[in-house]
Amino acid sequence: MNFHNEINNDIKFLAKSEIRLKILSELYNHPNSVRGIVNKTDITYSSVSSNISKLEQNDHIRKIDNQYHINPMSEIYFKTFMDFKNSVDIINDYHDFWNDHNLNQLSMYCMKNLTDLKDSELIETTPIDIYKTHNTIKKQLMESESIKAIFPYLHPEYPQLIEHILKNKGIVELLIPRSIYKAIMAKINDKIRKNALKQGNLIAYPVKEELKIYLTICDQSMSLGLFKDDGSFDQNRILISNNEKAQKWAETLFENLKNDVIK
Amino acid sequence: MTNLQTKKDLNDEYKNVKYILTSGMRTRLLLSIYDSSKNLEELRISLEKPSATILHGLKELENQNLIRKVQKYYELTSNGYLLTTNMVKLIENWYAINKNKKFWNNHDISDIPEDILKNMYLLKDAEYETSTTSNLSNAFNKYIKLISKSSTLKIIMPIYSENHLKHMIRLLEEDKLKNLQLIIDNRILKSIQKNPQLNKGLLKNKKVKIKCISTNPKIFLTCADEFMSLTLFFKDGHYDDSQILIAKDKNALKWALGLHQHFDNYN
Repeated sequence: MNFHNEINNDIKFLAKSEIRLKILSELYNHPNSVRGIVNKTDITYSSVSSNISKLEQNDHIRKIDNQYHINPMSEIYFKTFMDFKNSVDIINDYHDFWNDHNLNQLSMYCMKNLTDLKDSELIETTPIDIYKTHNTIKKQLMESESIKAIFPYLHPEYPQLIEHILKNKGIVELLIPRSIYKAIMAKINDKIRKNALKQGNLIAYPVKEELKIYLTICDQSMSLGLFKDDGSFDQNRILISNNEKAQKWAETLFENLKNDVIK
Repeated sequence: MTNLQTKKDLNDEYKNVKYILTSGMRTRLLLSIYDSSKNLEELRISLEKPSATILHGLKELENQNLIRKVQKYYELTSNGYLLTTNMVKLIENWYAINKNKKFWNNHDISDIPEDILKNMYLLKDAEYETSTTSNLSNAFNKYIKLISKSSTLKIIMPIYSENHLKHMIRLLEEDKLKNLQLIIDNRILKSIQKNPQLNKGLLKNKKVKIKCISTNPKIFLTCADEFMSLTLFFKDGHYDDSQILIAKDKNALKWALGLHQHFDNYN
């Protein structure tokens, strides 16, 4: 077995006790005494005290002037541990979004940085609002000055939305399948399209490979859609966020996929 | 006793991660199937455990929708794949930290932002060099050797070191170095301005771009096309010129560029 086939005992030591994790999370924020931790967490004095000893024995914390401090190394350990915990939470929180969906075009880096999608919102259609996902994206696109997008299929409204942005001197960068490239372009006003292409305001990459991700990056928001394992696009769910980290995550995904499919 | 609500809250907060990480069988099954789909026989050989134990673990993971059985082969579901990818990241993060434990433990890392710390796995191939009593300049010499082969350098420089700067000027004059981007703070800029040689060789050189930032960085980071290096300060505030972390792989360069970007965003 190589190094990445084992969860080592140090990781297990932390994972085994919620109380130890809670204590570390308190000390990560600021040094504290046993009594201080008891008051902040509602955990009993004896539990805090015995787990503090174990953490000290395992070199995660040290006592300076009656206050316990987390060791610098353990700060990094704890940070990476919590990063894993947050990833698991995001997988579970948006279970139906990921479950039975094709993730092949999510780059490894993006999968390893799922926590950037924290605070995203899962938008799902309902029987009384079956266009909820489309309308949410449409609103984002209409309010944005510029966009970057991966459109794996042609929605009849896209050409007009793109035209609207180009008319207002915005920049549009697209990854689209070769099969729909002409159809999209033909529906944008000739003059506006030619001008935008000339000025570099419209950059469209026709892609030979099948695109299995839907992504829009607007000025203040992003949205992500996936294909189901059966090959169909899941029109009923999108993940949206106006968080800066999620925006950056989406930019990375766009660039990674662009580099992969444009040879 | 800890009150029941507190216990329940703590349990709820960490139950998912505890479920995965505390069972050797579950984690080993996920990691083994992550490498490739396997049937029971292959898993039995790979994990060296009896079928009954393995089947029990597989059943649990199937119930959690992390794996599924397709024609006798066990494979990860999309959720299982995401989870295992992040478990591998956790393992690699800890491996990368442990590998250079002395380097990280000796220094002040408070200037490395959380988002960069959580991707320490990118440094798993990095190694650190130490100066010794018989070779006091080992770390410095290694650094000079590295930059001598680079045509582009992006550097966050938290110290005023004529030694370092004069080597950079020499490389610029010899036209080996064609593009130097320096991020420094106001104190360093003033010191450079006061030195006529450095003033001319750096501040008035078209190949040099200097950015002055409002914070005093506590990292000496160098990003080139072929390598990255990092030196840090001791926790007592003194600069440590005796240990340098060096890496030449793509992942480490990505990590370093992320850190560089963080400081480049300062006004």
